[in-house]
Formats: sequence, C-alpha cells, structure tokens
Amino acid sequence: MPFDPTTEPNRRPPAEIDRRSLLKLMGASLSLAGLVGCTGSHDENALPYVRQPEGVTPGIAKWYATAVTFCGLAQPVLGKTYTGRPVKLEGNPDHPAAQGKSDAFTQAALLGLYDPNRSRGPRRLGTPVGWASFRRWATENAAAMDRRRGEGFRLLTGPFSSPTLARQIRALLARWPLARWHILDDGLFTAERAATQSLFGQSLTLQPSFDQASTILAIEDDFLGPGPRQTLNAVQFGAARRKGDRRMQLLVAEAVPSATGAVADQRLALAPDEAATLLRALAARLGLGIDAPAPGSQQEAWISKALATAAQDRTLLTVGTTQPAALVKLGLLINERLGALGRTLHFSPSPFESLQAESIADLVADMAAGKVETLLCLDTNPVYHALPDLDFTAALGKLPLLLHAGLHFDETAARAQWHLPLQHDLESWSDARAVDGTTVILQPLVRPFFDVRSRHGLLDIIAGGEGNDDRALVSGTWRNAWGEAFEEKWRAALFKGFVEGSRPETLSPAVRDRSLELETKSPPRQGLTALIRPDATVWDGVFSENAWLQETPKPLSKLVWENVVQIAPALAARHGLADGDMVEVSDGHIRLQGPVFIATGQADETLALTLGYGRAIAGGLSEGIGHDAGLLRRSSTPWRCDGLTLTPLGKTVPLAFTQPHQQQEGRDFVRSVTAREKAVETDIAAADFYPPRPPQDPSWGMTIDLDLCIGCNACVTACQAENNIPVVGKAMVAQGRAMHWLRVDHYTDGPGDAFQPVPCMHCEQAPCEMGCPVNAAVHSIDGLNLQVYNRCIGTRTCSSSCPYKVRRFNWFDYTAGDADSVQAMRNPQVTVRSRGVMEKCTYCVQRIEEARIAADRENQPLGEVVTACQQACPTQAIVFGNIADPGSHVSRTKADPRNYTLLEEANTRPRTTYLARIRPEDGEG
Amino acid sequence: MAAGRRMREGKRGMAQIFTASADTRLRAMLLMAAAALVLAIVAGYASQGYGTVVGWVRDQPVPFSHRHHAGDLGIDCRYCHGAVETSSRAGFPATHVCMTCHSQIWTNAGMLAPVRLSLAQDKPLIWQRVSKLPDYVYFNHSAHVAKGVPCVTCHGRIDRMPLTAAAHSFHMNWCLDCHRNPGPALRPPGEVTRMDWSGWDDSVESHRQYAALRVRVEHIDPVKLTQCNVCHR
Repeated sequence: MPFDPTTEPNRRPPAEIDRRSLLKLMGASLSLAGLVGCTGSHDENALPYVRQPEGVTPGIAKWYATAVTFCGLAQPVLGKTYTGRPVKLEGNPDHPAAQGKSDAFTQAALLGLYDPNRSRGPRRLGTPVGWASFRRWATENAAAMDRRRGEGFRLLTGPFSSPTLARQIRALLARWPLARWHILDDGLFTAERAATQSLFGQSLTLQPSFDQASTILAIEDDFLGPGPRQTLNAVQFGAARRKGDRRMQLLVAEAVPSATGAVADQRLALAPDEAATLLRALAARLGLGIDAPAPGSQQEAWISKALATAAQDRTLLTVGTTQPAALVKLGLLINERLGALGRTLHFSPSPFESLQAESIADLVADMAAGKVETLLCLDTNPVYHALPDLDFTAALGKLPLLLHAGLHFDETAARAQWHLPLQHDLESWSDARAVDGTTVILQPLVRPFFDVRSRHGLLDIIAGGEGNDDRALVSGTWRNAWGEAFEEKWRAALFKGFVEGSRPETLSPAVRDRSLELETKSPPRQGLTALIRPDATVWDGVFSENAWLQETPKPLSKLVWENVVQIAPALAARHGLADGDMVEVSDGHIRLQGPVFIATGQADETLALTLGYGRAIAGGLSEGIGHDAGLLRRSSTPWRCDGLTLTPLGKTVPLAFTQPHQQQEGRDFVRSVTAREKAVETDIAAADFYPPRPPQDPSWGMTIDLDLCIGCNACVTACQAENNIPVVGKAMVAQGRAMHWLRVDHYTDGPGDAFQPVPCMHCEQAPCEMGCPVNAAVHSIDGLNLQVYNRCIGTRTCSSSCPYKVRRFNWFDYTAGDADSVQAMRNPQVTVRSRGVMEKCTYCVQRIEEARIAADRENQPLGEVVTACQQACPTQAIVFGNIADPGSHVSRTKADPRNYTLLEEANTRPRTTYLARIRPEDGEG
Repeated sequence: MAAGRRMREGKRGMAQIFTASADTRLRAMLLMAAAALVLAIVAGYASQGYGTVVGWVRDQPVPFSHRHHAGDLGIDCRYCHGAVETSSRAGFPATHVCMTCHSQIWTNAGMLAPVRLSLAQDKPLIWQRVSKLPDYVYFNHSAHVAKGVPCVTCHGRIDRMPLTAAAHSFHMNWCLDCHRNPGPALRPPGEVTRMDWSGWDDSVESHRQYAALRVRVEHIDPVKLTQCNVCHR
C-alpha cells in the first residue's frame, strides 16, 4: 500500500548503453515526443446502470448519516457517496456529541473500509474457504452446544456499546447457560468506573462540560489528545476559548508533553508520582482535610495560580483515567468542593453494553485449567492486546478450538483454527452509543465488496442461523424497544443520524463514601518509570494497518511510521543520547529496543512509550515497525512500568519526521499577544509598485486561529481524504517528500509550545507564479493560486520559489500501484496526480467550483464554501470564506487585531493569515 | 593555420565557392525542412479527423440511431440523458430506460438483443464514448444547460446522425472561443434541446440583442469564464 520506490513501475534497471546509441535514442524519442499529445484517444467505455436506483444520479453526491466506532463508542458521521461509493466522511452536524466535527481516526476510517490488506474471506487453518463451510461447522456446533447447554464455549469481545450485539449475546447465553462471555477491556474507563462506584455507590461515566468552565485544571489528563472523547472535548474547548473576554484558562500538570499541555496557559512538568502529591496539596488547600506533604516550589506556584483563577466561578478539575482510581476519586471530591458537580461536571450511566462481561483473567484461568473448549474472539485480538502477565498466548496451547473474527488476519487469527473476516462499520447495519450516551443507528454506505459478515451476522451464524440479514437483526432490537412508534422513529434515526431523545438524563448522585486509600508515602522508586499510552495515530494497534494514520505525524514529535522511546533532555544528556540512538529498555525480564526521541518538557527519569507497534501481521503494513510497548504493561499497573533501566546500544537508526527542526530560532512564525493587549505589532510597511487590483466578489481568504489549534491532525487527515493525497512511505518522508498538503508545524521554543497549521498561503503576489515557465501556477481572479496539473512539466521552480514551502512534488508515480479498493476510494471531484506534477493546497477548489456551479445553475447568490480542513477542525480554528463580503465570518476574523501574516517580510500578501495566540501576562505565566 | 589557408585557397590558389561551413548550413537547412514537414504532418494529423475523431463513428453494442429516436420520433434529449440539468455528467440511459419502450415495441428485433440480454443478466451495456474529454477537464453539463447553451452547439446535429459521431474536436481553443464570447451561443434555457436554430439568425435584430442582453443582465464575464480553475482543478 505505501509507495515503495524499489518496485515497478518506478524501478529503472541500470542500462548498459554506449554514447552513439544513446544519442540515437534521444533523437528519436525527442521527435516522437511531440506526437504524444496528438492521439484522438476516445476509447473509453461508459457503463450505465441496468436499473438506476431511485434518487441516484451519477455525478451528484448523496449523504447518509451513520457512525464509525472507536473504542466501542460511536463517532457520528455523514458519509458522502457517489453512486454508492463512499469517498468522504464528515462529522454529523446535528449530533450533539460531534457537532459536525471529527478527529483524525474518524477521517481515516474511510481508508479502513477500503484497506487492501483487509481480510477478504474466511480461512480454516490458514486456507481460504467459503462461508458455507463455516456455516456447516456452526450448525453442528450449535446443536452440540444445545445438548451441552453451552459448556466449554466462551466468547471474548472488546468493549462495545451496541444494544443489538448485547441482545444477541444475552440470547446466546440464555440459550447456553454454561457458556460465558468475557471482555478484553482497553482500560480507558476503568479508573473512572471504580472511582464513581466508590464515591457514589454506582459506576458512572463522567461528562465534563469544558465549554461551561472558565478555569480548567488538568492533571495528567490529555483531554484534547487522541481518544474517543477528543472531538467533543475539543469542540467544547474551542467554544470556551472563543469567548473573548471571558476566555477560559487552562492549567495543566503532566509528566509527558501532550497537546493539552501545549495549548495550556500554564504547564507544569511533573514526575508521574508527583501527580498524587499535587492533588493532595490542592485538596489540603481547599480544606478537604487531606494529609498532604509539602509540594515543591513549582507545584506550589501552580497550585496558587490554580486557586486564584478558580476563585472565579465555573472551575473544572480533571484527572486522567490512566491514574489510579483513588486519585480520580480525590479529583471528584475536589470538584465537589469547587462547585463543579452539576455545573461543569455531570454524570451519566455508562454508554457501554459490555459491562456484564466477565474479565479476561477468568477466561485465561479457565483456559489454563482446560475448562474451555471453544473460544470465539469477536473483533478483538488478545494475542497482541492482552496484558502480558495474563499469559494468554501460553494458555492458548490448552485450547482445542480458537475462532477469530476481525478485520485483518492479525496475530490472533494466525493462531486460530477459524478466521472469519468482519465487515467494517461503514458497510454495516449496527447500532452504538456516542460518548454522550446518544444512540446511533449505523447504516451501510456501501455493500461489502469482500466476502465478509458483520458481528451481528456472525453471531447469528454461531446461533445456527443464516447470518445474512443484519438489517432485520438491528431493526429487531428497536422494534422491541419502540413498539408502535417503530417505523417513524427508525426512519427519523436513520435520517438524522441518532435517536432523538436517547441521551440519558445527566445524574446528580449523592456522595456516599468520602474515604480515600491513598498511599501516604510512595516508596522511593528505583530506576526509570515508563508511562505507556495509546499512540496518537495508530491508537493501541487498531489502526496499525491504516496507511494514512501511519503516515500522519505524531502531533508533538512529528514522527511517522515508527514508535520511539521518548525521554527528557536531562536523561538524554546523562547518557549522551541523541534522536535516533537505539536503546534497550528493560525491567529485568522484558527487553524492548527502540530509538530515542528527546522531548523538551518531559519529566526527568520518565520514559514515554506508545502502544500499537511491534505487530506481527504477516505481510501487513505494520510488520516489523517499532516495538511493542504493551509488553511492559501489567494488570495492576496497565499504564506505567517502574524500575526500568535504559541502556544505549551504540547504534543509530534514521527517524522519519515531517518536521525535523522544531525551533523558530528567534523568528516570529507563531506570535503571541497578552490578554490585555490583543493587537499584534507589525513594523513592516507594505510596499507595492502596482496599482491596487479591483476588488472581486468572491475573494477567498482564510484565517487560522493559533489560540484554538490543538494539533489534533483532523485537518491533515481530512485534506488527505478529500484531495486524494497519496501515501509515500517512511523513506520518502525522511527525505522531506511527505505529500500532506496541509502540515501542522510544532514549535517548542518561544513562550511555550505552539501548533501552526500551514496550508498554501494563496499569496496575492505569489513567487511560485512568477517562477513557473509553463504557466501551470496561475492566479485566479477570486484569489486562488491555482495549480494546473496538465500544464506542469515538473521543473519545481515554483517550489523553490515558495517561501512557505507548501508545494509538494510527485517525485514518483505514487498512485500507480494502488489496489483496486484504494482506487475506488478516490474523490472523483479531484484529479489523481501522476509522476512529475506539482501539487498543493487549492483551498478545496472543487468545493468552490461546486458552489459556484450550483449558484449559476439555480440563479442564486454564491453560497457558503467550507474547505475540508475547516469542516473537520473541532475547535473551529480554521475559518474560510469570502473576504469581499464584510459580513462573512472570515472578514470578521481578518479584522481582528490579532491577525498577522506569516513571513510578512516576504511581502507575498497571503490570503491565509493567522490569529496570534493569547498568552498570560508576563509575571503570570 | 597553414592547412586552413590552403583549403581556402585550393590547389591552384583560387577562392572556394563553398565556405567550410557550407556543408553544415546545408545539412541544417535540410534538417529544418524535414522538421517543418514532420511538424506540418503532425499538426495536420492533430487537427483533422484522424486525430480528433470528428465525424468518425464508433462501434457500439447496439447501433443506436439518434436520427430515428431524436429526429424522426422527436424524443427529447433529456428522456435518456436526464441528469444533464442537475449533474456534471449527462449520463447514459440505464438499460431500463431503453426497455420502457422496447419492452413493448420491436421486442424481437435482433438489433436489440444486447439490450434485452443486459436486462436479463443484470449486466450493463458497454458503450464506446464519443463525446469524451480528457480526465483533466472537469466539464459540467448542468451549468451550460442552465444558461441556455443548446445541445447542438457542442454535439452537432445529433438528430441527423444514424450513428453517433463527434461533431467537434473538443480542443481547448474551441471551448475557449465560446468562453471568450459566450453571448452568441446562448439561447433561451428552456429550448436547449432544439436542434434547428437556423431561424434564429433570420430575425437578426431581436436576436442580436438577445446575446448582449443576456450577457449584461446575467453579468456573464469572459474573464471569469476563462480562469483556469473553471475547467482544470
């Protein structure tokens, strides 16, 4: 799938040729070259429908509301389809948990559907067989289970929120009472559930309202970072930050630099154990009667600032759920004292349907004892994901029959006797709940093009059925629930994308038990501590096979196709390490080897490791990449490992970064203003020899608010999906040849971290247009800097002239080797570029043209145009529109005193400008 | 040098008629003449039917006669190419559309066997495209139809073609000729499927005003129409 320059058609074997023959060849080819453009090749076929479905018109997109599930929760989307082919996902604007926005995982889910490495058919002992074969086995098995009442049959799933799946499993367990259902939980909500259970007597889900808060205190909680709640958190954060004078203050304390820390007004670097100290000190200061050791001076300063800003109302404290449950509970008590409960923090019943399942530890114990005969792993991969101290793989030796159902032929599938391929969410009938508890009905955007079944169909087959009517299975659940009102509610749910009124009422539970079991004295730690987190682009491995996400740079390090051992500068200095040096991390038994990456702002003696790499999918995209940090996890401490040693191995490997240099070196790419003086200073007088151009309507322009950008990469992935941007692979990225039209720069110097998305500036005085010898880079009268691909001859003068370096060149034919399914994924409104052609951000010219043509056709004024990046950005940092219209949103943002131009001294008059970050006053920072 | 002077003066000391560079010049002339010949052939090829397939009929699965259907029977273009008013592509009719009539008339015609087979087997008919633009051109039918560019302008007298062929070369300069001066090509949008506009030119006065009025009222600006992003994205 990713471009490999050593394969055909890009490999050019060395030719043995003499001078005379070469000259003859050159002469002949030169004369023949001119004939290339002359063929009247009209030999393409047109295949119309046999029966055209009602309402489908070739060339016109149809949108369907559905969702993709992530960590078992629904991310509501609208799927754009052209004649039955989905080409783009956008957040569902009506859904309260999405509000039209999405994150990088949701945008890249489109490639997950079309993934050429997906499993295409069932396999028995590795050999492809048909579903009929499996159905025969399942029918016999069902009969046997009926006789034995399910003894020896176990089901293992991941966490999910599908009421239909839960109904099917309950029915199965009712039919086979001795069968049992276990869950391989991802542990994301474990601490939260335990804390609320302890505090309120019931296990609940936290529903923070960041948009209601004027102060947010985040302790080891990267709530703006990747996760199932990222979209909603970022939407709320954006709303809070846009409030102008009542702009929300964010104070963060964390060990490992994160996106939340980068956008914080104040960030404190803490060692992992100090989070408890900080919380306790905060609690003591608030009068909660907690015994607290004296915090360090930096922590004291942070606490004072926190309390000062929290004195205004509407504060919210959030503690990351990777922390022990006792600390989460303490955080809730602090919130109670701050008056957050019921105002900025609400509670709701858990959206998951998988809470009744038993633990995987019980399953492994039973497997080891020989009590399990048949295990069905439904959409879960325990060989890779199960915590190592459970010893799942060893227990597999005692298991007679393993069935695996999943999207890929992964590590568990390789050990299974039966592998059943599953449908992707985008081609399935299903249901799920979003993070706020709202029910979403998933409807397929396309008929499955591989021989796959959904989880519902598979369970139906296991129960002895046919497994081919998912719609009936899913609608059956809701027919039972809605009775008479079914038809109307079903149609409404499918149309709107969620079930109206299904959001559970937020609860105001009473506090029952305030006792806390905090360690009074943490033992002195020997060795280093590693914090293990899901990766920012491949999560815990569920997206390892997704080429877009492998190539999306990690938000802070800008690394691709790799995971690293991230260390603090002080630790690096002590060992004499630089980026890319190989090290071995060991706890005495497990040894992990990986390259080092030095992150400024990371706590000393702390390593940051990410999951999702070190896969063993034979022939897969992720094979042989990175190390499996999951090997250091333990059931008691799944998110950290203590007592580690770090040993340099003495060799260096090249790392691939999209941005190797993250310092501004004193320049003002990212500018900041204080909250009081909101104007950006500029001392460059704009000089122009030419008469001013007459104003045009429309004139397109864009502003990007750096105070809102959280570096989440939703815009980058949305642009990749919308504009058919190819994947080039690690080697090309290492050479600086990444193809993302929109890059998000990250700078670590200056007053704190900053993210800066850089699309094409669409300069009014564009240097690239002056450089192009064939007029492929031209300027349209509405202000777009155009790239006409069919004119481009690949001199790359434009790119060398561009001061912003936003142009991307197709050094090779990156799309030539695309699998059929990837070709089907391409957006038909955008050219697929070939070798030798320059490309760049076009302000989504296809969307502008679509709007212009619609306006022309219907004799209406030009409507609003939303670029793909703007559409995806959850904080609404990107604003695009007609600057000739004084009432447009972008005209207002351009008039903001914070507005400034990147590289103003180049005098290029870009149409893309930035709004400066707002920093705390000096002395308050 | 001595040898050179000797060459220049010749054996008996006379001046040479041809200079040393005469050979080169002759060869250069011949080469340029040859190049010009090749260029003329190529240019001629590109602009004539052989290169542009104007007037060339393509093999189709069914020898569909527009003359019979659109001309003799008077079926409106949009009966089959219905998407032309809303979509970028006019589209080909689905087999079902052919069968709306041919399930009742000519039901046993051998010529129509592929159509019946397509319906029976649920496999589409594979047509050879005649009016095809290169992939780097994004043409939108609905914009043209909505403005009142008649079908005949680009597709020629389809109603007189027993077998479909291209009427124009669809070269960029041909498109630009209209985009630079769209007025004369515009007709009332409701009449776009009319094939015979010969009467239009007779009442020249009122119709000459039509073009100018349309352009003025609708702010049709050739500058806007000749921006590269209008056709090339």
